[in-house]
Amino acid sequence: MSTQTIAQSSTWGGGNSPFKVSYGKLMMWVFLLSDAFTFSSLLTAYGAIRYSFSSTDTFIEDVTPAKLEADGIPMRDGRIDFTFADNLIEKYTPDAAAHTSHGAEAHADHTDYFVQKMGETGIFSESHWPSPDLVFNHFPGFGIIDFHGMHLPLIFVSLMTLILILSSVTMVLAVEAGQRADKDAVSKWMLWTIIGGFMFLGCQAWEWTQFIGAGSRMYSNPYGPPTFAALFFGVTGFHGFHVFSGVVLNIIIYVNNLMGTYEKRGHYEMVEKVGLYWHFVDLVWVFVFTFFYLI
Amino acid sequence: MSSHSNHNADIHDEVNYDPTVWVPHTHSHGTKDIWLKFWILLGLTVIDVAFYFVMPPSMARNIIFIALGIVKAIYIVGTFMHMKHEKLGFASMIIIPMMFIIFFIAWMLFEGNFWGTI
Repeated sequence: MSTQTIAQSSTWGGGNSPFKVSYGKLMMWVFLLSDAFTFSSLLTAYGAIRYSFSSTDTFIEDVTPAKLEADGIPMRDGRIDFTFADNLIEKYTPDAAAHTSHGAEAHADHTDYFVQKMGETGIFSESHWPSPDLVFNHFPGFGIIDFHGMHLPLIFVSLMTLILILSSVTMVLAVEAGQRADKDAVSKWMLWTIIGGFMFLGCQAWEWTQFIGAGSRMYSNPYGPPTFAALFFGVTGFHGFHVFSGVVLNIIIYVNNLMGTYEKRGHYEMVEKVGLYWHFVDLVWVFVFTFFYLI
Repeated sequence: MSSHSNHNADIHDEVNYDPTVWVPHTHSHGTKDIWLKFWILLGLTVIDVAFYFVMPPSMARNIIFIALGIVKAIYIVGTFMHMKHEKLGFASMIIIPMMFIIFFIAWMLFEGNFWGTI
């Protein structure tokens, strides 16, 4: 009885939870704080290294359209014409018919040609940090609708952002269903979250394939300083592995819920804890999107 | 809030508190706020993309992107991660250490300006 009096008279006197939060959830938050430091360090390193180079954006302003045209860059209305790929493939490829089927080969040719031409003009050079505008400008083709060879900066990565935000919403809906102890709704929303996670990972695999297809490696990079590629693989790889871990955790929670583990336990806090992790992955993506693709 | 049962196994019982199994009572705040925040996040991303295409690259544009990123982060942490429903002390414990990140960013960007020049 005496301990009960102490617990009720003093918030920090022991015997209760001053933060009104369970041990597991508290530790998840502490882990996420440490993970926030990790990702901040990676992104800050990106910023610091980028600042130590001059940027392509300011460099392009010094390059006049006439100079680019003289260097063999196809121009239209005073801007670089990014839809030149197909004509060039036909012109420079001996067996043109085999390459105009918009297969992976044709696309790889276009990427290589674009990077090579930009390298010749000095836009992609060791001394200039590449503009994301010129690096991540691809969008996959879907059968009849073909986006190959078109200059579409930011569009694909915006789609990835939409997928991740949506999967965050389905996750928080699973948490909300758990708070109402609605087992079936938890299953439904967890399944959507897992699907969203796999979609995001698929998009990231495609993005990496494009980047590697253009000749980027951890130690070299046709778009500019090798550190650019190293940081891209490092940061998006670290984030992608977090997404992968999150999908694995989500699957475990999904299966546990199907088996009725949380129904028997009387609460669905595991869904909340894994939800915190999943939202953190979304949070990190907001900043990866800002620093790698927007700026 | 706490049921006055004498069983230690009662996971919601704050009086006979066992930190290894205890979890607080949680209740749903509904789905309306979640969907509102989804549309806000989507709208902010669309604004990001609009600025990207309309405004030429500049420091002002970068500041807009970072500001929008921080607003998005506040909505994700506040609503999706339920931080706004947590105790103030708990939220402070997580958010105040973030100021180290601000120091780190300012310091490293300042340093980055000198790399390769000395």
